[in-house]
Amino acid sequence: MTEESEVSETNETAGAAGTAGTPGAAGASAAGGTAETDDFLARAHALLADHPVVDGHNDLPWALREQVRYDLDRRDIAADQSDDLHTDLPRLRAGGVGAQFWSVYVRSDLPGGHAVSATLEQIDCVRQLADRYPQDLRLAFTADDMEQARAEGRIASLMGAEGGHSIDDSLATLRALYALGVRYLTLTHNDNVAWADSATDEPRADGLTRFGEEVVREMNRIGMLVDLSHVAPATMRDALRVSEAPVLFSHSSARAVCDHPRNIPDDVLESLAANGGTAMATFVPKFILPEAVAWTLAADENMRAHGLHHLDTTAEGKRVQRAYEAAHPRPMATAATVADHLDHMREVAGVDHIGIGGDFDGTAFTPAGLEDVSGYPNLIAELLRRRWSTADLSKLTWRNAVRTLRAAEDVARDLQSRRGPSNATIEELDGAAPQD
Amino acid sequence: MADTAPVLQGSPRAFTPAPAPEPAPDPAPAAGPDPVTKNDAAPKNDSAARTGPATRTGPETRAGSAPPTGPMARTASEPRTGSETASVPAPAADPASVTRARQLLAVRPVADGHNGLPWTLRLRSGHDLTPGHYYDLDLADATLHTSFPALRAGGVGAQFWSVHVPPGAVGDRAVSATLDQIDFVHTLVRSYPESLRLALTADAIGDARNRGRIASLLGAASGHAIDSSLGTLRGLHGLGVRTMALTHDRNTPWADSALDEPRAGGLTLFGEEVIREMNRLGMLIDLSMSSIDVMRHTLALSKAPVLFSHSAAAALTGRPGDVPDDILERLPVNGGLCMVTFEPARMARGTGPATLADVADHLDHVREVAGASHVGLSGCYDGGPETEPATATDGTYEPLPRPRGLEDASRYPYLIAELLDRGWSETDIAKLTWENTLRVLRGAEFTARAGGPRRAPSMATIARLDGARR
Repeated sequence: MTEESEVSETNETAGAAGTAGTPGAAGASAAGGTAETDDFLARAHALLADHPVVDGHNDLPWALREQVRYDLDRRDIAADQSDDLHTDLPRLRAGGVGAQFWSVYVRSDLPGGHAVSATLEQIDCVRQLADRYPQDLRLAFTADDMEQARAEGRIASLMGAEGGHSIDDSLATLRALYALGVRYLTLTHNDNVAWADSATDEPRADGLTRFGEEVVREMNRIGMLVDLSHVAPATMRDALRVSEAPVLFSHSSARAVCDHPRNIPDDVLESLAANGGTAMATFVPKFILPEAVAWTLAADENMRAHGLHHLDTTAEGKRVQRAYEAAHPRPMATAATVADHLDHMREVAGVDHIGIGGDFDGTAFTPAGLEDVSGYPNLIAELLRRRWSTADLSKLTWRNAVRTLRAAEDVARDLQSRRGPSNATIEELDGAAPQD
Repeated sequence: MADTAPVLQGSPRAFTPAPAPEPAPDPAPAAGPDPVTKNDAAPKNDSAARTGPATRTGPETRAGSAPPTGPMARTASEPRTGSETASVPAPAADPASVTRARQLLAVRPVADGHNGLPWTLRLRSGHDLTPGHYYDLDLADATLHTSFPALRAGGVGAQFWSVHVPPGAVGDRAVSATLDQIDFVHTLVRSYPESLRLALTADAIGDARNRGRIASLLGAASGHAIDSSLGTLRGLHGLGVRTMALTHDRNTPWADSALDEPRAGGLTLFGEEVIREMNRLGMLIDLSMSSIDVMRHTLALSKAPVLFSHSAAAALTGRPGDVPDDILERLPVNGGLCMVTFEPARMARGTGPATLADVADHLDHVREVAGASHVGLSGCYDGGPETEPATATDGTYEPLPRPRGLEDASRYPYLIAELLDRGWSETDIAKLTWENTLRVLRGAEFTARAGGPRRAPSMATIARLDGARR
């Protein structure tokens, strides 16, 4: 919290600048390639050399699983993979990435209940990437490891699990994921779990159940960050009430800027200062650009009008979707759209509580200027244009995320001296699990 | 950040065991071998054993008469009282042999292949290890076979704790139940640092013994634990699992169990890949309860020594799952190890209940057919039968009784005494109790080191090799 004083001053100037320049104009200038833009871009690169990006969410492991079933020879990320992936090592370097939370996401609807073993396979994939590219990647399990990797010029590789289905309602399985290196767990993905509500499902538990609260407490005790992206606002509020450690939003933006359920309401953003956590703004256009939200709703409606599920990817589904896109061009988000969210989040949550979580390789569409992992300098240039100070940007890119992980470690050390592992079961705390 | 992460703290690839406190002087006789005793023990023959205790002084007397702790511990010089032996017929062994057995075990303690305590505690207490809440393993408990006093008195120096997969569990249920028990064994080791020490290598087993701790290894009891996924297999290895039985009482999708209808006729292509990946990782392949076809198939394929973590000799009992002589005969070539179970249902012949002598008969047979370098011990204490019904965690689960004369984990010296009386040399006893297990683990580690640099982790899937997803 010592960082607060130097922040408030920069906040005022930058806040004024943010309201003065309209997002549209800024986006146009970013695309224009003027001498002024080049100057901002050069400054962005210089800044990232000193304060690289900690990105909260990248789905490369899932993309490798889906595309080539982890055949890493067929997607050698030491070489350019821009035909198939948002992510490869040269572009991570060009993007100024210093630490990456690799998502070990698995679908919540894997047939036959194989989420836990699929999660272990995802973890195995990240470890193999680190083994395979030791010059560029270094596994990191602590904030110290992140600093060390940065000092060595390697990209700190952390792991985050996405969705409570990865622990199969078992706190011991949660501890096993920690032991294998996972450092955050997103409480839900797009669907509810038995103990927590998702933002994109029907409310059932009204936030966290008692077992859900126990999951949060156990995560605090072992030092795993509680990730509140994807969860319902009621779950966010419950988790913030229960959590003894700072929380994370690994890839979520501001609901006040774009009203989509995946984004964070202002009251939750406001409570981050007291909690000490970090909200990492995401780049997914259909969450962050109001026009894209409306367009997606209309496109989904069109699919349903043709008698198809809105996520249908059969040939027929793709044909209908392409026809709709031809008639109604998809609205484009830009780096300025993301900057709008960050301006607002800095205003509401405070500069000590914001970060970046691109969701690359986890989304089909990306904003102009942020097409892949080499795009971060364009975002930083946009923020420099909006008069963000170097101090603020260094917090956004690196310092907040490292501080949050370190604080979770401190809380864990403290809690471990006071309580042992929890062996509570969902049956004990919630009665019979509602659905399983 | 510690306690849940014995794994992967500093180095990304190395499994660093949770640090144990500096060793305190240990009162138990099984621990801390005296170098003199150590050098003396191996070359001795039977007659020396018989006459030894009467005439010798010094280290042996110390080892033989040091008072074991706890109510389960007894020395041969303390005859059992009537009330104690009410349900326990006194063993027939020569008291001098028992004394000699204890002396031998003080130097080469028992490395035991299978103990079901984690699953039994889970069923009875829901894994609650809060001292005094359910069970205090520092005290003997009449309803458990295993306690630290019993293990100390039994001369146990290393234990494979069985990570059990509950009956009927497949997919995530099997994986998370396995992770659950791995977590429990780690918690157990952390909860009793004076008695247990996590061991992930043969060297670490020696270290644990030298510190007077019981080396604790993890063995997965069924191939269902990996959900037909090599990535999950590597995950279990990363969490410290060092052996895995290919099957328990049901077929896995890639290997046949001896107790199930044959389906694959041995190993499927994916099953072969599991063997190769276990070789690559240095995880021991446990063939107990596998079908005979799987045993043959694995012996033909495995580059590392294999393990039977709890098996009986088919020549004596002939039940499904028992190891036939032609398999035992192949162990010297493979370098593997058949650990003879104490499971009464597997040992009993004829009508009477199984006794210590039945176990000794199996040991005799395995030594005769496979050789003294390929036989080991597997108490299976606190284990259930091979096919058990799904049991609720209602606190009523009772482990099955053990054979007469081997009622709990303190009884190994009586078995060793029986073997001495049957003419086993002390060299053979040393191999049986301790050396074979370490050699097999070292063999698997060597295979992994030798082959690892030449093979990348296997990305094969069961869908690709066998054409079916799990």
